[in-house]
Amino acid sequence: MDDFEKEIKQGFLEEATELLSGTEQCFLTLERDPSNKGEIEKLFRLAHNLKGSAKAVGFDELGAFTHELETFLLKFKNGTFELTAASVTVLLECNDHVNVMVAGLKENLEAKFDSTALIAKIQAYVPDASAAMVASTETPEAAPAAVEGPSAADIAAIEAAAHGGDVPAPVSNVVEMHPAPAAAAHTAPAEDKKPAAKGKPAAAPDEQIRVSLQRVEKLINYVGEMVILQTVLRAQPAVIENGFLRKTVHQLGKVTKEVQDLSMSLRMVPLKQTFQKMQRIVRDTSAALNKPVEIEIIGDHVEVDKTVLEQLGDPLVHLVRNAVDHGIENDQVKRVDAGKDPKGHIWLKAYHQSGFLVIEVKDDGGGLDAQKLRNKAIEKGIITASKVLSDKECHHLIFAPGFSTKTEVTEVSGRGVGMDVVRTNIESMQGEVEIHTELGKGTTFKVILPLTLAIIDGMIVRSDEDRFVIPISHVRESLRPPPGTVKSTKELGEILLLRGESLPLLRLSSLLGRKPKQPKNVDDMIAVVTSVGDRPFSVLVDDIIGQHEVVIKQLGDEIRGIRGFAGTAILGDGRPSLILELSELAKTRGVA
Amino acid sequence: MNQQHQFETSQRYLCFGLGAEEFAVPLLTVREVVAMPETTAMPFMPSYFVGIMNLRGMVISVVDLRSKMQIKPKADSENAVVIVEDGGLTVGVVVDSVNSVLNVTEKDFAPNLTDDAAPKGKQSFVTGVCRKEDRLILLLDIVKSLTGDDMSIISRSSGKKAA
Repeated sequence: MDDFEKEIKQGFLEEATELLSGTEQCFLTLERDPSNKGEIEKLFRLAHNLKGSAKAVGFDELGAFTHELETFLLKFKNGTFELTAASVTVLLECNDHVNVMVAGLKENLEAKFDSTALIAKIQAYVPDASAAMVASTETPEAAPAAVEGPSAADIAAIEAAAHGGDVPAPVSNVVEMHPAPAAAAHTAPAEDKKPAAKGKPAAAPDEQIRVSLQRVEKLINYVGEMVILQTVLRAQPAVIENGFLRKTVHQLGKVTKEVQDLSMSLRMVPLKQTFQKMQRIVRDTSAALNKPVEIEIIGDHVEVDKTVLEQLGDPLVHLVRNAVDHGIENDQVKRVDAGKDPKGHIWLKAYHQSGFLVIEVKDDGGGLDAQKLRNKAIEKGIITASKVLSDKECHHLIFAPGFSTKTEVTEVSGRGVGMDVVRTNIESMQGEVEIHTELGKGTTFKVILPLTLAIIDGMIVRSDEDRFVIPISHVRESLRPPPGTVKSTKELGEILLLRGESLPLLRLSSLLGRKPKQPKNVDDMIAVVTSVGDRPFSVLVDDIIGQHEVVIKQLGDEIRGIRGFAGTAILGDGRPSLILELSELAKTRGVA
Repeated sequence: MNQQHQFETSQRYLCFGLGAEEFAVPLLTVREVVAMPETTAMPFMPSYFVGIMNLRGMVISVVDLRSKMQIKPKADSENAVVIVEDGGLTVGVVVDSVNSVLNVTEKDFAPNLTDDAAPKGKQSFVTGVCRKEDRLILLLDIVKSLTGDDMSIISRSSGKKAA
């Protein structure tokens, strides 16, 4: 295959991914409102476009399948078939198949796929429940779940939906740029109201360009450098003395700040796509469990850093699936008795709060029973029977690895892995999960995340001549140890007596394997108490220089393996300094 | 290692001095040469690792191969840093002087000096020796110089990345 062919094929796949991003949403809208002609028209056009381009660039299998899909969709469009939940299930299956093919081709342009079973199925499709069942038994490997209850194919579909977005992400690694946040607020239903757009397929991409994340990062680097140079310029005596120069530099500073904010915002992408996936998860999980559940999405226009979004997918899938499976009561009669809608409700809500991104997964189910959780944990050997736990601590037991309230392992849950994944992933992003629950009323999982992983609030400290950055989120407090509060022991080293606590006191210089150049008296130093991990400890630094927002830069591959450093940050004078992970440093030095 | 110096036409190298000796790296791997920057020391690193520097917003490791090869730096030298981009790594190398760009053809090589004559393990990152009249120039593989035995960091870091 020559380069040109490769290029047009790759170009097509990028385009296809973009076209496909909205289709699942269309199908789900159709299920709720089968009379929605606009959506079916849109889908039909999409399938038609995809067929044409796929054949043009030489993806014959994809072309053949989308051709069948187009024919199938035409029947719904003409009204030959009626849209039902069962038909939407088949259509979603086709949608998944197209997605799988596109993702597969992205990885390998020569990839082959077997679509015969699915083609046979849609050709034989008759919009009648009993006939559909016959059709599905003919092709058991791709049977729809709606009529058969939970099945392996079903779970595979859920998995596929969960990972569908993750597969192409590392390949393209691209951020979608929005000319204005308002553009992101356009939701699918809003577009339906414009039938005038008929015949003009996919007008939206005109206002957006795709830019590689790498280029955005380069831009951010240069802008950061510009900010530093501007600071240097402002401190020049010639500038301070000359009124005109001073004014100009001041203006330049303002503009630079604007450019910096703007360049950082390029990394931000709306949550919309990830949230839409959750709709599908709820639909499929509720069908698999035969439990009617509805999801309501609030705030899908909220924007979040691209890297955060990528790591957010998995935990959200687990939380949402958990809400359907465990949150909502299995017994509908119980719900009615409690005065609730027999249909379960889940709310997925995103909003910004004081510099953090908050995502809530709320259900109106039975709530968490602290006592039951405790008993289960004792039974599973996660805690000992004598351990005293507050209700809140009991709730958090569900995050323990191996913990599951289910006695039997089903396809949907029960292995006790999911919630552990939630906590691990969220914590690795410097976030946290809160649980708010009320027995009989429901449970809310509140995921609190930093808006970006590229910037942290850092405390800048000095040890000898070197400056280091400690993430503020790791610092519980800092203090000058009052006289007499530092006890020296031979065995345990120095101990800081802080109010009721006795904390190990480590010197930063020795943590870094250095001998202090000018040994200082403890009284002249500052103790920083860290809040990470189960055992707090304190670190002695020479001085605290200040507190700034810093842009995290990764260390080069050749030194990334050294533990204890989260990266570097370029400080105001243009010199890089290391961002410390104190608990990791202490661990590698074998002192905590 | 052999394909490094088996070429039909000449290849261009950037020559620089470390102490009294001359070394060269392929010109295409050189991103730029900058004056000796301010660096920040990195804990737990071998002594030849000078630290990290800021190259217009990018943080780059700087190494001093002189101390690795136990070459005495020139007393009156004007230090510079050659930024080399090779094999996915970007590294700064402290040099005493930047001398010239050199066209090297196959006949300039002294192959007998490269592989066999080298003391065991010591010159594993010297990929070739070339002679131009009375100048003797050692061709360096910077990535290799960083992945030697005393700096098995790459393997550790790749393990961490995979996790």
